[in-house]
Amino acid sequence: MTPTGTTRPTRPTTSAVKTISQGNHDAGANPLRVILRAFLTIWSVPKARIGVALLGVFVLLAVFAPLLAPYGATDNSFDRSEDMSAAHWLGTTAAGQDVLSQIIYGARVSVFVGFVAGLLSTIIAVLIGLSWGYLRGLAGDVINFIVNLFLVIPALPLMIVIAAYLQNGGIGMIVLVVVITGWAWGARVLRSQTQSLRSRDFVTAAVFSGESPARIVFREILPNMTSLIVGSFFGASTAAILAEAGLEFLGLGDSTTVSWGTMLFWAQNSNALLTGQWVLLFAPGLCISLLATSMSLINFGVDGLSNPRLREGATR
Amino acid sequence: MSLVSVQGLSVVYEPNGAEPVPAVKAVSFDLEQGDFVGLVGESGSGKSTLGFALTGLSRPPARVSAGSIIFDGVDIAGLTPSQLRVQRHGGFAMVLQSGMNALNPVRSIRNHFFDIFAAHGHVSTRDREARAAELVGKVQLPASVLDRFSGELSGGMRQRVSIALALSLEPRLMVFDEPTTALDVLVQHAVMDTIRELQKSERFTAVLISHDLGMVLEVTERVMVMHDGLIVEDATAAEILAAPQHPYTRMLLSHYGDPRAAVVEVPGLASRGTERATDVAQAVAGGAPVGEPVESQGEPVESQGEPVETPVGEPAPSAPTAVTVRKREGRAARESIVVSGVSKVYPRPSRRDQPVTAVNDVSFTLEPGASMALVGASGSGKSTIAKLITGVEHPTSGTITFGDLRIDTIRRRQLKRLHTEVQMVFQDPYAALNPLHTVEYALTRPVLNYSSLRGRDARRRVLELLETVGLTPVEQFAARLPHQLSGGQRQRVVIARALASDPQVIIADEPVSMLDVSLRAGVLALLDSLRETWGVSMLYITHDLLSARLVTDQIMVLNKGSVVEEGRTATVLQNPQDEYTIRLLDAIPAPRSGAKGGSRHPQESSKKGLRPPATVPTSSPPATVPTSSPPATVPTSLTSPRSPS
Amino acid sequence: MRYLLGKVGLLLLTLWAAVTLNFLLPRLMPGSPADAAIAKLAQNGPVSPSTRAAIEAQLGVPTGSAWDQYLQYLNNVVHFDFGVSYTFFPQSVASLVGTALPWTLVLVGFVTIVAFICGTLLGVLAAWKRGTWLDTLPTVGGTFASAFPYFWTALLLLFFLGYVAGWFPTSGAYGSAATPELTGTFLLDALYHSILPATTILITSLGGWILGMRSTMINTLGDDYVTFAEANGLHPRTVAIRYAARNAILPNLTSFGLALGGVVGGSLLVERVFSYPGVGYLLYTAVVNQDFPLMQALFLIITISVLLANFIVDILYGILDPRTRR
Repeated sequence: MTPTGTTRPTRPTTSAVKTISQGNHDAGANPLRVILRAFLTIWSVPKARIGVALLGVFVLLAVFAPLLAPYGATDNSFDRSEDMSAAHWLGTTAAGQDVLSQIIYGARVSVFVGFVAGLLSTIIAVLIGLSWGYLRGLAGDVINFIVNLFLVIPALPLMIVIAAYLQNGGIGMIVLVVVITGWAWGARVLRSQTQSLRSRDFVTAAVFSGESPARIVFREILPNMTSLIVGSFFGASTAAILAEAGLEFLGLGDSTTVSWGTMLFWAQNSNALLTGQWVLLFAPGLCISLLATSMSLINFGVDGLSNPRLREGATR
Repeated sequence: MSLVSVQGLSVVYEPNGAEPVPAVKAVSFDLEQGDFVGLVGESGSGKSTLGFALTGLSRPPARVSAGSIIFDGVDIAGLTPSQLRVQRHGGFAMVLQSGMNALNPVRSIRNHFFDIFAAHGHVSTRDREARAAELVGKVQLPASVLDRFSGELSGGMRQRVSIALALSLEPRLMVFDEPTTALDVLVQHAVMDTIRELQKSERFTAVLISHDLGMVLEVTERVMVMHDGLIVEDATAAEILAAPQHPYTRMLLSHYGDPRAAVVEVPGLASRGTERATDVAQAVAGGAPVGEPVESQGEPVESQGEPVETPVGEPAPSAPTAVTVRKREGRAARESIVVSGVSKVYPRPSRRDQPVTAVNDVSFTLEPGASMALVGASGSGKSTIAKLITGVEHPTSGTITFGDLRIDTIRRRQLKRLHTEVQMVFQDPYAALNPLHTVEYALTRPVLNYSSLRGRDARRRVLELLETVGLTPVEQFAARLPHQLSGGQRQRVVIARALASDPQVIIADEPVSMLDVSLRAGVLALLDSLRETWGVSMLYITHDLLSARLVTDQIMVLNKGSVVEEGRTATVLQNPQDEYTIRLLDAIPAPRSGAKGGSRHPQESSKKGLRPPATVPTSSPPATVPTSSPPATVPTSLTSPRSPS
Repeated sequence: MRYLLGKVGLLLLTLWAAVTLNFLLPRLMPGSPADAAIAKLAQNGPVSPSTRAAIEAQLGVPTGSAWDQYLQYLNNVVHFDFGVSYTFFPQSVASLVGTALPWTLVLVGFVTIVAFICGTLLGVLAAWKRGTWLDTLPTVGGTFASAFPYFWTALLLLFFLGYVAGWFPTSGAYGSAATPELTGTFLLDALYHSILPATTILITSLGGWILGMRSTMINTLGDDYVTFAEANGLHPRTVAIRYAARNAILPNLTSFGLALGGVVGGSLLVERVFSYPGVGYLLYTAVVNQDFPLMQALFLIITISVLLANFIVDILYGILDPRTRR
């Protein structure tokens, strides 16, 4: 059905024109180049572009919080439970803190947890997914069972239980808990991709070219899974951000840190619902949602990479 | 009035965000009631697109951009989907190329029929069971098949069910899009027989879309040749055989031959008659590789004459004379691969199944410099033998040696040593190259792994390899990524990679079956010339007897894991002894037989040059099924080659 | 049949693993929760030796070999003996769980099934009407809504519809005047109280099902059997439902089973917001009061419920896919 015999859904890349005398023979060797290429691919999808922009805003907010916030995050020298005003755009909390400053500083925790927990989960997912994709027989079955167990066990209750034992462990504890419960999905996806790639002829051909197993995994198979790895990173990050907020909302984190989750915890506990200070509920939650949405939107770009059918507008 | 009248039909592909590509360009033709017309072309010619348009199935990104398709007085190109749907009963039906996947896996075959009856209301609820049974009977399947799901049927059976479903529309026009391409050779033949008989008995107008001119000429009365969106020739089969008008048709036709003939020739490849008794193996073993080109060998294939004969910018293979015969410095003396009494039994896949004996007590010796064909239908065990020889799998019993190296018990660590000498050319050039690595990377890796060459020297070696396989200018090709190459070019890269370790033996597993017919000869000629100039021996694995005849000296025919016949290629193919070999030969369409009378096997030259339907009782394949039971056909490959369309 | 046996075997194995995990968890944690627990319990009065032994078995005080403890623990689990809660002393953990579980099962179970069915239908519609507003609206809306934290959706609904508008009750599963009984009045009251929590779970989980079904449906729409069904002039509705959607639902069922844990987790937070007397709220109470026996038992019962739900999904899959019948 394809109009030309050579049409294949592979992206044309700038690396094609790379001169070959550089001694570096790999099209995907330079990590900077890889990141740039991945970024451009994601950027080319409109939905993902919105996500990237949104995420960029939150990252900037987190990094430059001290410069952007009008007051300190824990400064409680203001009148309590004030409404929105010129001095306090979003009002103050029941403890007399500036809500806007807390929102801005709160981005730090969410972005940090999302990034670190997402990254750690993804690393575990890649390691287990790759080796599991290679294992057969009993060892493979055992890992299969363990991964499926982690997939079906409800993550949040498990997190709650672990967090209850490790009392008030702070952000480090939350990251740990999120990683323990968050790697399984990525591992499963990467496993099946590894299995399908390893049976491809080009992997067999690499064996015939005398390549070592490590090189086959890291230079032949891994680069072909970039989109899935990036996808599972954003997926794990989203889950981590939501889980972090949920745990803090339950009061299971360190309730003195300033984060969107603890803001909601205090809002609920100080009966912001009864006093009618809806901004206290609305603003932190909206930020969590937008941050999570930005990652889901970016994943549309990643999806488009691996599944051309999902590209927009290609109607039936 | 004609049943179908196509006037100035154009179809464009409008992929999202990309330039529109014309696929069919202002095509016009008529089809009369009861015609059996072939539509032939290579991949990208637009033949399938035209077939989809004819049956009102053009879907985005494809769109009919101009022209009309008048079917029985109605322009179906202008109908709304619901009007079109009503037209399908008693109108036009299509059998898809991938009949394997044309059935809903979660719906029984019976319900497939009932859905169609319900959609058009032409069969009452009372009669539908009987009608469904009658329809599957017409494609020689038992009524019990109605209870099954598609996953329980073989490939051939599924395609028969598809045909029966299409037939249940009582169509006046039936379009068959590569109906047998995904099937095993012997099953192909049987399904095609069924289609031919149905066309005669049901009297529908049939359009057979295929990349295989040979098959189309054998089956149809009229042939339209398509190239680059245009119908370049439209004539009766006999006319095309006797006097093809368009150079493209002539080129296609020139690539067909009868492997049984005394002299077989395709462009660029020498005939291999019995007179070609120079034993290359002996010559090489004697220390003097044959450097002299034999007959027309090595002549650039795609560059003779008309420009139309250079499809897809395929480069001409370099003449073998340009490459000096390689010396093998500091290497051990040339060794034979000795396979003796080898069997491979796979454990039963599930409790109910029997263990599968893929290879059964096979013995042979591949001499240095020899060229041996391993032929058989899918499931015959030929690819398993390739895996055993390359140490990818170990045999259940028997020994395989290469010099002092025991391949049958080889350890993972020794594989590199084996692969220095024994290399492989893969079937699917699209899968055999990592899409992310440049050609240079793919070639540099084995050079670094197998030789002491480094840096500048290694690079020079890589460019040399590219030149050897005719990918010039070499610098340009070295920098390309696989998707920037055509199928033929990719396969040349795969061959160059196999040569990078300077091996003694090359295992070529169906190296051309995924390529367009016009490109096959070029790759085969390259392999053949490399064997002569580099002195490598080649084990050529194929189901295609014609190509085996062209590039090998010895042949082994495998059936269900056992060798049923072996000997010199020309001798075996001209005078086959085993029934299985005869059946394989019978399954090959031979369009040139009429044009080149005299070169045919005497008993076959009849009926205006076309071989009659296989009616000889002894050679009648069991694939033309008894109606009482499911056809016990030759095992069908699950990994059937993609058709080049 | 072999499929069914395999799934039963897998269920038993997973159940065993979940129980064992529950046994190991407190023992892997730093500190001794058992001592804290017993100290806390002692505030309510003297602790009997049998209670002490039960808590120690539950929470891993090293008496006897680990193996003996493990056997003791398994024995307790089999007899639904999870010890005594010290928040609600002297009620047994089992009876507390028994009171809370039905509320959650009915609320979460019912809403999840409704959400899955609605989401799947909307996903089918979105894929079939690709590019129209029927596609864009649920897709964009679903993407956004599924990024809402469950508890935030709950808080917003509670604030605007509960406090500000006053349309719905703001806490509990039934009015303070009512007592749980099987009368029409009570059931209506319970239904009224469940509307906000149910809506929360519906809104937040719907998007995922829509997006999942849409993407698998788009894949099956490209499959050959759909093209062939169209070529045979089947009615568009037949093609959409019996050919495309019928096949697309299969992979989605599997993800349904796997995503169930997330939905259950989210609804725990919802129960907290609405003070809905289910396992989620009870778990929250247990965690806040460091009521470890109750917490462990709740975690176990939640896990087992999800495992059983997954098992049911697997069986359903087996019924829907003829390929598993061989």
